[in-house]
Amino acid sequence: MPAASGKRFKPSKYVPVSAAAIFLVGATTLFFAFTCPGLSLYVSPVIPAYNAVVFLFVLANFSMATFMDPGIFPRAEEDEDKEDDFRAPLYKTVEIKGIQVRMKWCATCRFYRPPRCSHCSVCDNCVEVRSCRGLRRAESPGSTPSPCSPRQEFDHHCPWVNNCIGRRNYRYFFLFLLSLTTHIMGVFGFGLLYVLYQVEELSGVRMAVTMVVMCVAGLFFIPVAGLTGFHVVLVARGRTTNEQVTGKFRGGVNPFTNGCCKNVSRVLCSSPAPRYLGRPKAEQTVLVRPPFLRPEVSDGQITVKIMDNGIQTELKRTKSKGSLEVTESQSADAEPPPPPKPDLSRYTGLRTHLTLATTEDSSLLGKDSPPTPTMYKYRPGYSSSSSSAALPHSTSAKLSRVNSLKEPNSICESGQKPSYRSEPSLEPESFRSPTFGKSFHFDPLSSGSRSSSLKSAQGTGFETGHLQSIRSEGTTSTSYKSLVNQTRNGSLSYDSLLTPSDSPDFESVQAGPEPEPPVGYTSPFLSARIAQQRETDLHGRFASAASPKHAAPREPSPVRYDNLSRHIVASIQEREKLLQQPPAPGREEDVGLADSGIQSTPGSSNAPRTSSSSDDSKRSPLGKNPLTRPALPRFGKPEPPPALRVRSLGSPDQPAAPHLGKSVSYSSQKTASQAGGPETEEVALQPLLAPKDEVQMRTAYSKSNGQPKSLGSAPAGAGPMPLSSPTRGGVKKVSGVGGTTYEISV
Amino acid sequence: HCPQVHSLQELRRSASLATKVFVQRDYSDGTTCQFQTKFPPELESRIERQLFEETVKTLNGFYAEAEKIGGSSYLEGCLACATAYFIFLCMETHYEKVLKKISKYIQDQNEKIYAPRGLLLTDPLERGMRVIEISIYEDRCSSGSSSSGSSSSSSGGGGGGAGGR
Repeated sequence: MPAASGKRFKPSKYVPVSAAAIFLVGATTLFFAFTCPGLSLYVSPVIPAYNAVVFLFVLANFSMATFMDPGIFPRAEEDEDKEDDFRAPLYKTVEIKGIQVRMKWCATCRFYRPPRCSHCSVCDNCVEVRSCRGLRRAESPGSTPSPCSPRQEFDHHCPWVNNCIGRRNYRYFFLFLLSLTTHIMGVFGFGLLYVLYQVEELSGVRMAVTMVVMCVAGLFFIPVAGLTGFHVVLVARGRTTNEQVTGKFRGGVNPFTNGCCKNVSRVLCSSPAPRYLGRPKAEQTVLVRPPFLRPEVSDGQITVKIMDNGIQTELKRTKSKGSLEVTESQSADAEPPPPPKPDLSRYTGLRTHLTLATTEDSSLLGKDSPPTPTMYKYRPGYSSSSSSAALPHSTSAKLSRVNSLKEPNSICESGQKPSYRSEPSLEPESFRSPTFGKSFHFDPLSSGSRSSSLKSAQGTGFETGHLQSIRSEGTTSTSYKSLVNQTRNGSLSYDSLLTPSDSPDFESVQAGPEPEPPVGYTSPFLSARIAQQRETDLHGRFASAASPKHAAPREPSPVRYDNLSRHIVASIQEREKLLQQPPAPGREEDVGLADSGIQSTPGSSNAPRTSSSSDDSKRSPLGKNPLTRPALPRFGKPEPPPALRVRSLGSPDQPAAPHLGKSVSYSSQKTASQAGGPETEEVALQPLLAPKDEVQMRTAYSKSNGQPKSLGSAPAGAGPMPLSSPTRGGVKKVSGVGGTTYEISV
Repeated sequence: HCPQVHSLQELRRSASLATKVFVQRDYSDGTTCQFQTKFPPELESRIERQLFEETVKTLNGFYAEAEKIGGSSYLEGCLACATAYFIFLCMETHYEKVLKKISKYIQDQNEKIYAPRGLLLTDPLERGMRVIEISIYEDRCSSGSSSSGSSSSSSGGGGGGAGGR
């Protein structure tokens, strides 16, 4: 009846359990009353005692199996699945010990049923047969929807105990079966003994009763023993009745088994699991009060909000790889110096940017945008005052990039936009180790690789991880979507970068606005002289900054960008080799191009157009991987000067800031190893693609697993980055993806 | 009930629940209770990655300890059998003891690390050990756009929310 409540009193369901109870208790009582006295008198008093113990055991387990909550899940609250409800695929796969297991979405319970979980159709919790399949519930005629109560490790519904057997009470059920079998055997055996030995007169009442009890026992023995044997096999195999009956693991591959002994011990010896329902709700005693702390950038997680099309001006440069290079060379100088003051909020924005940029670079943008985005993203201050930044950027971009490394401040102050507010780059400096700050400068400004290195210095891992998490299934779709959106923004902004004009597009670059540093920040449009000067300044600043900042806690995440940057690094290396005069061999490895970088700055400004394109292409891949810091150094500049830039990226890391150095070294290692990458544009292209593929692969993998293992594995090599780009002591020039050159003062 | 709500109402500068993040279970090792240590992107700007990962790893360690099959759990089982499970009336199981530890740990983390950052962890036990729910709060005063997202449902601890009271 529709009007009836969900829980109707159905006497029929109590019949089996009642019958079972009656037979059990009744027969045993008769046995004790009629058979045992004779036995205890004439055979041994131990017999009744033994039987009593066994019977007590049977009763205890029977009660536990009957009354214990099998492990019912509480329903998910509304907000848990607010995104999933309409878009949720019916199944979600997870990988358990290498085997794909499907989890079904239950619309009633509003979560994906954990593995081995099922709904009990009989317990009246779900009107539908076999469950709360969500959609089907509504169709059940005459039934009132009741909350689904999925059971963990659902075994079956046992009518004899009128309860579901699940994770919590399976042990008691199993012991009940065992003890019941033992009890029946005992009763039958001792009854037989009594009869055969004619303990008392055969025709007496007692004999009759004993015979009756024996018959009952004998009758029940067969099914009970059969069921017991069945469950012994199940326990040994680590399966539930549900799985056995539905033939899930007919192929023999059961991800839930740990071996026979372990399975048995798990059933019998593990601590009883807690129940979920009926718990007193813990009162929330912790108060959440603003103001809230925000994580410091020093963690390396420059979560630049992608919305922020940070480095607008500079980004313009890098519209495409080719153009990117061109722009880079010139834009290296043109990059607007980051705002003088790192703004925490902005920084945050930038970080997101960077993160997103990285993500997008690696995964989404792959081919489209020039690799520089990362670098741009990093640019501080872009977020807000893009417009303002734009103008100066164009002129000072290139140089500023180089200089940025030195000092966010300098970048910020770059000539024109003192008001440039978004200064993520500055922020990093304050928060992070000097290295970071430096790198920050570099990245947004000079090249993607720079940014990646920056990021890595910072513990890009955070970003990368972020990216990766975004990619992996574990993240909510929302996050993923936002990432995508941002990526798009990033790419757009990146494009804007390519245009070497001061168009607003430039500002859209996510890398973050890079306000022109007052000092040392040169934009491609500035004269070489200025650039030179800036570099010098930056150098100085950088050096000073470098030392103190050392300690900033950086999120070590070489692993992350390692993956992505491998190709980029390789490409960068190639470029570097091609473009610049071979620096000291050590430099190549170490990114000790810093010094050369300086030179490149001016040079870059001069001929950035041509060279930057190549640079850009190279850098793009770098840019994609914020982590790829090391790649930056490798990033050969289109021409000798630009090449230096790349290198500098690497070197500063080393000496200047442990963090930076780490990433740099890391990348340099990679680059060294991968030196064979394709050259120039191709290099840029390939790395771009590769990381993306990697990312996709990773995403898929992590999807199934729910744990981004794959992510970790890739970068494995990167790990410890002993890269040692020796700090040149002066300014290291690192060329970023966009062809900008960063000067990292060591 | 909702001390949070109280305090929120009392303060001039209050925090409102903006959104919730759910850290899912990690089933890669079977049905043992483990949670993913993957860093949710929504927390990017709210908390350092290390802190979060450390919290989740510690929780995973606790759950592994709870489900551990060792001498103590075996003895507990034997004792329970011997007393016909009456012992459960008086004694806490090993699992329950660890759950208490977990709950204390979560509270401690909330007080020290998460609440100052505008986050709140909810004990996974309340969600059937399926997810770790992290509520993200926004500063109502400073961010106009922050929506009290979850509203009615509020965070686990919040209970019925203002209206409910």
